[in-house]
Amino acid sequence: MTELQEPNSGATPLLEARGLSKDYGDTRALDSLDLAIAPGEVYCLLGPNGAGKTTTINLFLGFVAPSAGQALVSGLNVSTHDRESKRRLAYIPEQVMLYRNLSGIENLEYFAALGGQGSLGRERLVEILVEAGLDGKAAGRRVSTYSKGMRQKVGIAIAIAKKADALLLDEPTSGLDPTASNEFSALVERLRNRGVGVLMATHDLFRAKDTGTRVGIMHYGRLVTELSTAEIGHADLERIYLEHVRDNGASP
Amino acid sequence: MIRHIVRKEFTDMIRDGRFRWCSILVGSLLLVSLAHGWVQARKAHEEHAAAQATAREHWETQGEKNPHSAAHYGVYAFKPRLALSFVDEGVDPFTGTSVWLEAHRQNDFLLRPAQDATAAQRIGALTAAQVLQHLVPLLIILLTFGAFAGERERGTLRQLLATGVGWRELALGKALGTSGALALLLVPAALAGAAALVMANPGPVASPVARGVVLACVYLAYFVAFLALSLAVSARAKSARTALVFMLAVWVVNGLVAPRVAVDLSKWLYPTPSAFEFARTVEREMATGTETISRPDMTESNERLLAEHGVERVEDLPINAVGAYLQESEEFGNRIFDRNYGALWDTFRRQGLLQEALAAAAPSIAVRTLSMGLAGTDVEQHRHFATAAETYRRDLMRQMNGDMTQNSLTGDFSYAAGAELWESVPPLEYEAPSLGWVLGNRILSLAVLGAWLAGAVLLASAQVRRAEVA
Repeated sequence: MTELQEPNSGATPLLEARGLSKDYGDTRALDSLDLAIAPGEVYCLLGPNGAGKTTTINLFLGFVAPSAGQALVSGLNVSTHDRESKRRLAYIPEQVMLYRNLSGIENLEYFAALGGQGSLGRERLVEILVEAGLDGKAAGRRVSTYSKGMRQKVGIAIAIAKKADALLLDEPTSGLDPTASNEFSALVERLRNRGVGVLMATHDLFRAKDTGTRVGIMHYGRLVTELSTAEIGHADLERIYLEHVRDNGASP
Repeated sequence: MIRHIVRKEFTDMIRDGRFRWCSILVGSLLLVSLAHGWVQARKAHEEHAAAQATAREHWETQGEKNPHSAAHYGVYAFKPRLALSFVDEGVDPFTGTSVWLEAHRQNDFLLRPAQDATAAQRIGALTAAQVLQHLVPLLIILLTFGAFAGERERGTLRQLLATGVGWRELALGKALGTSGALALLLVPAALAGAAALVMANPGPVASPVARGVVLACVYLAYFVAFLALSLAVSARAKSARTALVFMLAVWVVNGLVAPRVAVDLSKWLYPTPSAFEFARTVEREMATGTETISRPDMTESNERLLAEHGVERVEDLPINAVGAYLQESEEFGNRIFDRNYGALWDTFRRQGLLQEALAAAAPSIAVRTLSMGLAGTDVEQHRHFATAAETYRRDLMRQMNGDMTQNSLTGDFSYAAGAELWESVPPLEYEAPSLGWVLGNRILSLAVLGAWLAGAVLLASAQVRRAEVA
């Protein structure tokens, strides 16, 4: 069991995996993952379905227990500091699901309150929603009338309101139109500039190259390569990705 | 944090059309059944009061006649309705509420509405107790089966738990939020019930309000147990549909299957004779006596009286030997009644105790028992009144036979008493048992309901801890 470490103090990565593994029965979903994400870094996990991307996010969220290794958030072991580690995280899934009978403001207020930001006034909540790209007029409407893109923006607003150190994104632009995807990328960029560390699981190579600072390619639970997006072009990334996915095509 | 969860659950629920319609339906049924019960109870009270006054008047104005003839003329006794009987009419429609008290006989109760009801009325009669025991739990299930399972399916549960909120806080918040929404339905009904209770005739009981408060607590415990059980199932079920199907099965077993099985099982283990068999046995024993209870013999009775008074002929007795013999016959009959009715009541009691124990399988049995007990309409309170009425009958017969014995001579068939004697007989003043008596009789049901409540809360706590995010 890992000793409690000091919360993020510059040198401590915001998100860190140390030999992190997860088995489901005889199947190894994640195999000895090591990675560290510093403040202001956007790390994109690429890989086909079943590569272990969502398992990695679930381990950081404490939704599943690791079979080996540790998931750390700002130096806190998720397994032993479930609540404290979650307080420092924000999570946006592929489909942000909200409460249909509540408005965008009410949903944001609720999730923010549960995340420890219970005293935000209505005005501030609207500001955050607008900052996340939602039309201010839509903020008071019930979310049953929202499009997927609007719901994703509320998800971003929840992350902003929480003032989290780190952001976990699980296929956040899947199903969004190009405009909405670009807006989403811009929001991630803004959060990155504020020093938030981001771990994004995605199939979207273009978005990974465009938004990420580093890219990790996963296949059958293993991190097979890591790249700096500043050093490669879009075509390089696609080529390398396909090489790794093809070369390691056989199930281990 | 819990405050926010409660507020969200409450808001989400009351904006849900399904909740509104279900609540309107259940709330309307509850209010209508309360109003109907109250009107019926008031009507019954007025009818009983009028009938009681008429019966008394007939007794007092029956004219001059032999006291034993007056004993045969008899009086009617009406079981007074307790104020809370408008909530739960219990066994009254089946046992009857009035009895004719006459010489030599312990009659069955009359005025059984169930006898006159159509088949549809017997099945479909809706009381506030039925709404509270069956429809409110159904509403709780409909409101909570998706509390966790539904959020898990929709994906909101992952987002919720990612905020750092704990399972237990979430469960408590959901329970309180749902309770708040249910309170919108139940508090007005409770207030209406309280108003009806205050306006109702209190009946022969010292503390109708205390009974009402305990009754409210019993139903509250029942609802909380159902709420906790439903949350526990929702936390562990793989899908909302599974949770719903499971809880509906629980509801059917609890409300429909278990109570009937409990009744049938108790009858099977502790059988009671049919009404015909019972009447025939009493009639036979009254005619012949039993091994231990001998039928009085007039000759022996006379000889005893002659010896007591030191005379040789009954005509010389200073009392009426026939009156003394009639009283002896009355007391013989009383012993036969005590033997047969005592055994019958004991069998009913054993059946009731078994049914109370079987509430371990279904809390509705415990709630039904307690509800009837607190409303004063259960078998035990029927027995309490029947015993009081029988005691009154025996006193009345003793007084009539005593008057005949003391104020006339043997062979004097012209003796007649008048209004003075009839008026000297006090009317039946029935005092219903206290709240302590009722609760003391229902310790087992209270314990079982308490165990259900504690068990359901512990189960919910354990299941929520073991629940999975996806």
